[in-house]
Amino acid sequence: MANKTIMIVDDSASLRQVVGIALKGAGYDVVEACDGKDALNKLDGQKVHLIISDVNMPNMDGITFVKEMKQLPKYKFTPVIMLTTESGDSKLQEGKAAGAKAWVVKPFKPDQMLQAVSKLVM
Amino acid sequence: MNADNPQITFLEECRELLVEMEEALLSLENNPSDADMINAVFRAIHTIKGSGGVFGFDDVVDFTHVVENVLDKVRSGDIAATSDLISDLLLSRDHVTLLVEEAVGVGKELNDKERQQGSEILDRMRVLLNQGSAPKTASAPTGAEQPATPIPEKAADGVVSGNWHISLRFGLDVLRNGMDPMAFVSYLKNYGDIVFIKTLIHAIPPAKEMDPESCYLGFEIDLKSDTGRETIENVFEFVREDCAIRILAPHCSLDEYKKLIEGLGEGEVTLGEMLIKGGALTRDELGQILHTQPEDDDVEEFDDEHQLEGALAEESSADSNTANVASSKTEATRGRKAAEHKTIRVDAEKLDILINLVGEMVIAGAGTRLLAHRTGETALVESMSMMSRLVEEIRDSTLRLRMVQISGTFNRFNRVVRDISRGLGKEVKLEISGGETELDKTVVEKIGDPLMHLVRNALDHGIETADERIAQGKPASGCLKLNAYHDSGSIVIEISDDGRGLDRDKILAKAVERGIVEPDQAVTDQEICRYIFEAGFSTAAEVTNVSGRGVGMDVVKENIEALRGTVDVRTQPGQGTTMIIRLPLTLAIIDGFLVGVGGTSYIIPLDMVVECLELKELEDQDLVQGSYINLRGEALPYLRLGEVFGERGDGHTRENVVIVRVGEVKAGLVVDELLGEFQTVIKPLGKIFQHLRSISGSTILGSGEVAVILDVPGLVEQAAAGGFKQTRVGHSTKRGPESSTTIH
Amino acid sequence: MEIKESPPGTLQLIGEATIYTAAELKLGLLTQLSRHDQLVVDLSEVSEIDSAGMQLLILLKREANEKGKVLKLSGHSSATKELFELYDITALFGNFSDSSHPADGSATS
Repeated sequence: MANKTIMIVDDSASLRQVVGIALKGAGYDVVEACDGKDALNKLDGQKVHLIISDVNMPNMDGITFVKEMKQLPKYKFTPVIMLTTESGDSKLQEGKAAGAKAWVVKPFKPDQMLQAVSKLVM
Repeated sequence: MNADNPQITFLEECRELLVEMEEALLSLENNPSDADMINAVFRAIHTIKGSGGVFGFDDVVDFTHVVENVLDKVRSGDIAATSDLISDLLLSRDHVTLLVEEAVGVGKELNDKERQQGSEILDRMRVLLNQGSAPKTASAPTGAEQPATPIPEKAADGVVSGNWHISLRFGLDVLRNGMDPMAFVSYLKNYGDIVFIKTLIHAIPPAKEMDPESCYLGFEIDLKSDTGRETIENVFEFVREDCAIRILAPHCSLDEYKKLIEGLGEGEVTLGEMLIKGGALTRDELGQILHTQPEDDDVEEFDDEHQLEGALAEESSADSNTANVASSKTEATRGRKAAEHKTIRVDAEKLDILINLVGEMVIAGAGTRLLAHRTGETALVESMSMMSRLVEEIRDSTLRLRMVQISGTFNRFNRVVRDISRGLGKEVKLEISGGETELDKTVVEKIGDPLMHLVRNALDHGIETADERIAQGKPASGCLKLNAYHDSGSIVIEISDDGRGLDRDKILAKAVERGIVEPDQAVTDQEICRYIFEAGFSTAAEVTNVSGRGVGMDVVKENIEALRGTVDVRTQPGQGTTMIIRLPLTLAIIDGFLVGVGGTSYIIPLDMVVECLELKELEDQDLVQGSYINLRGEALPYLRLGEVFGERGDGHTRENVVIVRVGEVKAGLVVDELLGEFQTVIKPLGKIFQHLRSISGSTILGSGEVAVILDVPGLVEQAAAGGFKQTRVGHSTKRGPESSTTIH
Repeated sequence: MEIKESPPGTLQLIGEATIYTAAELKLGLLTQLSRHDQLVVDLSEVSEIDSAGMQLLILLKREANEKGKVLKLSGHSSATKELFELYDITALFGNFSDSSHPADGSATS
């Protein structure tokens, strides 16, 4: 099967880089975006199977992004992993309501992310 | 971005965030309720913690974790942003810097004192957290909390099977939610062998009613695994609300299987057979269960299904309620999103390579143009001049890539001014203007230190204490201004204070003492001001730890001159002092004015050239008097470059005077030939030439020959001092006999 | 997703058979089934399949059984093969009576 493509949306370049390395190592293709706006732009014109998105980002935060992404016919069923914080229970609920049904708590190790990802894409 | 080393990316990112954090904190100090600034500080710490965690930098995570908690409470209004807290946050910002550098391995390891400081900050923050509101109990990762069910040992009536049995009935919405049962099932294989799986399809309704986007699947799975219940439960954490999950431990009691079969109510015989097939139950065990099965199971089955549907419907309506609340909330926040700022990170080295290549292209272009001219073919010449224009545009755009706003450098001084003025017991307000002025990144990097020194000086020596100021009828709080603007191809940076001004008499006395001037020598105020840039010159009555002991201004001047810049002073006793730094916008390429002196080509930066005059005409009008030229009533000192560089004039050429201007000072340079404008890529001088005052660099002409770039500020100074001094340069830069006369 | 009939009686599914194409796929497959008494669905060009896609194949098989028609699958792509093995449902398409569905089909294999 062709590699599944995963998009990681986070304003931290280093986080994207590390997670990207881990995902690529596990055989996924990776697309990076630095905020919700950037992510929406990049979703267009390619096939992404899973989106990992931070909540707290400049330009467009993760919740807004998920809501808008879920409006796109091409992505309305695409799974989203929200990056939440220990104290961010309300954000987690907001994220779920917006359509991000999976989550990983920050800070996390690349391995934890890989685990969450493989629960969602084969 | 550094594609190879994420740690370096992390370091750069943290540095940027910490700068933002500091700026936000300083601005909070003036306006403690500014929600945007609180958010900015929070976001910086939050991001560092998150990224640090990915790298496994536990020290960074542990520290930022506490700070983040405090900031979260500040955000929610539970803790006030007092100036004490802001001071502590500034300290913690510094500490994070140390921790990050240590973690990435670019800094030294923290010493005991620094660790102590770190834990003291944390202690104070923890006190705040406990006061702010009831401390939150151990914050387990959301979604991970589990009913702590220990794996039961083989119960007395335990089943034979040593496998986990997992029974799954997925909800209708899982697929729409982006959850696919296949990924979860597949994931189970990470923890053991799926010895049996039965995919249940009986819930798929008749074709007409079947919604192709709904999920109707269920699974009975037997997993051979040593793992614990929690691990298996966690596999399904994302669908917990959307899937009926029953997990039966190895050798669990028969009763649990009984409950499973009853609870599912799907027709116990088929399910029972399935369990036997998978090895979860033996036929005997199933027999025992079925024996005690209630009679009215058919009715129950029906009821159960209805109950399940009812429950699902309730859940989903609750869901949409929260969704509504959530969406109105984000609508509100969406309004104040920062303006979009799209950038790409590019390795600085790549830019340098590009700029270097463009430089080479400029040179090559000049050479080609020369050749084109020689052919005399109009079409070729025209096409070449079109090329030259494009090359020029490429050059400009390329250089612009490396231009950055000076605000980053300026804003650093918020903290510096705050800390130093507090340390000195003075009240000083910093005003920044022109932060949007752009200059080459390489220049920015090098201007920080000189600026820092000038600012420290202004704070220490310039601005008086509040008492002194009040005594003089000035406002108690002093004012330091940083300003930047563009002026004829240069960037000008001004550092001005409203302090006591330079003490003319003190400086003069010191200059006499150090033998710089004779006691009875007449000197202008302007000259006196320049003495402060002499080595080892300090008039500070007492040495403070802020602005050192007279090492400084000369170093400042040297640093600025190394950037082909100048520094000037303007001062008014009792009113204040302004330092004016003038720098080229870029160090890489200059538009030059090519002149010839005795067979050698020299380049004068074009932006310093004011005008050119024929020396003979001036002499004819009797406007050359001694070492001065009378230019429309202005007496300008002049230098013969031939004498400076020990070149003999050709004798027959008509000498020209190039009037140059550095800052406010003008001077004339006498040359043999004017060869026109020339785009110049500056090549660094070899080490042997670096000490020469009159040369600032070299370049290669289109014809392949070397030309020297004149150090105009140095020459102007020499001219003002009444002629050239020691430096004589040999004929190291001879040019060919007719070479570049055609370059225009 | 494209459903191509070639040769007659064989449906070639080309592209992804996922929740994104499920509605279209359901309509296409059921329409084709209504036109044929025997149908082969060729999966060799299925680039991607998920549970939604697979459910539809199961539905189609069940519909065929109920109407006394013959449905066969052929040419599993690696994507479909992986999922069929994971769910252990290959037998379902060989002999439907093996399923837990109450309506025991008596389909030919």
